[in-house]
Amino acid sequence: MSLHPQARNEHAPASISRGALTVGGLHKSFDIGGAPRKILDNINLDVRPGEFVSIVGASGCGKSTLLRLIAGLDTDYSGELRLDGERIATTSLDRGIVFQDHRLFPWMTLEQNVELALLNTGTPKARRAQIAADHIALVNLKGFEKAYPHQLSGGMAQRAAIARALVTEPKLLLLDEPLGALDALTRVHVQNELQRIWMAQRSTMVMVTHDVEEALYLGDRVIVMSPNPGRIRRIVEVDLPHPRDRRAPLLHRLKDEILAELTSGADAAESAGNLVHLPSREAR
Amino acid sequence: MKHQLTRWPVRLGIGLIVPLFLFLWWQWQGSAHPSAFAPPAAVASALAELLRNGGLLRDTLATLERAFTGLAIGAPLGVAAGIAMGIWKPVDRLLGPLLHALRQVPMIGWLPLIGLWFGVGEGTELIVVSMSAFFPSMLNSHAGVAQVERRYLEVGGIYRFSTFQRIRFILLPAAMPLVMTGLTQALAFAWISTIGTELLTGAGAGLGVAMQAAQVQQRLDIMLVVISVTAILGFIINQLFRSLRQSLLRWQPAQS
Repeated sequence: MSLHPQARNEHAPASISRGALTVGGLHKSFDIGGAPRKILDNINLDVRPGEFVSIVGASGCGKSTLLRLIAGLDTDYSGELRLDGERIATTSLDRGIVFQDHRLFPWMTLEQNVELALLNTGTPKARRAQIAADHIALVNLKGFEKAYPHQLSGGMAQRAAIARALVTEPKLLLLDEPLGALDALTRVHVQNELQRIWMAQRSTMVMVTHDVEEALYLGDRVIVMSPNPGRIRRIVEVDLPHPRDRRAPLLHRLKDEILAELTSGADAAESAGNLVHLPSREAR
Repeated sequence: MKHQLTRWPVRLGIGLIVPLFLFLWWQWQGSAHPSAFAPPAAVASALAELLRNGGLLRDTLATLERAFTGLAIGAPLGVAAGIAMGIWKPVDRLLGPLLHALRQVPMIGWLPLIGLWFGVGEGTELIVVSMSAFFPSMLNSHAGVAQVERRYLEVGGIYRFSTFQRIRFILLPAAMPLVMTGLTQALAFAWISTIGTELLTGAGAGLGVAMQAAQVQQRLDIMLVVISVTAILGFIINQLFRSLRQSLLRWQPAQS
């Protein structure tokens, strides 16, 4: 699937700072019942161009909020948030996002959905269909171009959503629990695809997940967050080359460490309710 | 598809049971009290007579023309108003209260006033029919646009859609199921109010006019012919529109 390099070189300047994300002293509060409530507290993080960073944490740790801020869907924050030095003030075609629900438009076919993402990229109309077809092939959905979203399985729809997000060739791709709604088998399958795509694309990716194993399998680094308010608790380097072997002892050791870290946090905050929602297969 | 095709004769058969029962009852009553119930044979001969002298065709065409002209005026205006109100809050604030108050008046209730202004004739009938088509189109289109899910609008934000693109690619298609519901209602309302205004104004040709004339002449047989034609035509138009709706909304999962 090496269809990207040429397409990419067309609009990418040969700059080193392609997809470098800077998060500095980031704070975010929501107004809940008239009182401000801290969601993110002093988040500092630098993501290198081409890096895959996973973020794990209990629900309520603000990880999805962080992603929405980076995407530009929510611009009410204090602190620093920059992509390649440019302050994030709104959405941009440089920053793609895949949501947990695929959000394909149900009234359009798969290829129409993917092509629509190119609407404002300045791509000539004649080339859009080809680019969309290439990306549909990239996520192994050839033959389903004319299918409507309700005719696709959950895994296929999520792959289609990934194709739509990649079609604009964003410098930074954000993944907000993209595989959270999939069954365990499909999830492993799409994880493999995601790794393959990332290796082919080498764009910067930031993925939020609650599956520690997934975070470790895909991430160059895993950011462990704790809730109330959301803080970075630990940053774990996963020093293994891609593509990775799921059986690698290092992955398992790190998984145990992170899980211990997350559950010890839960003990401390037990009075606040059951905050750690790990997939049931993890708990066993 | 095949499944459905093999079943539709069965469905039709079931749908005909009650009419058939009514028909038998009518036959029995018709021969017992001929003054109150024209027997089927008399109705059949009235039908033959109306077909021969062209009266039925003329009335039917006049009614169809009136209903569809009114629909063609009222429905697009209603859809446009509803969508504009759904997209732009100020438009809703400006027009909403007035329109919601006006729609509380039954359409036929406007007839005396509009008749006074425009005289008893084609113009008055057309205004009332257009208004009947306008309100259901407006209400449903408004609801359709207002209910568009935020998560889809966010996708439009991610891909930097302009206002026009947002309307064209998200709001309109997402609202389409309810817009179509509105149009289905508009069609039914236009049909009913056409017959209603014809009955009340009695001007020109039309099925309602024919009904009224038959009442004055105490022609029960003609009345029954016209009522049957009205019912059957209305039913057919509705069915045609339903299939149009289904083909337009084929992206929706499993429509009944």
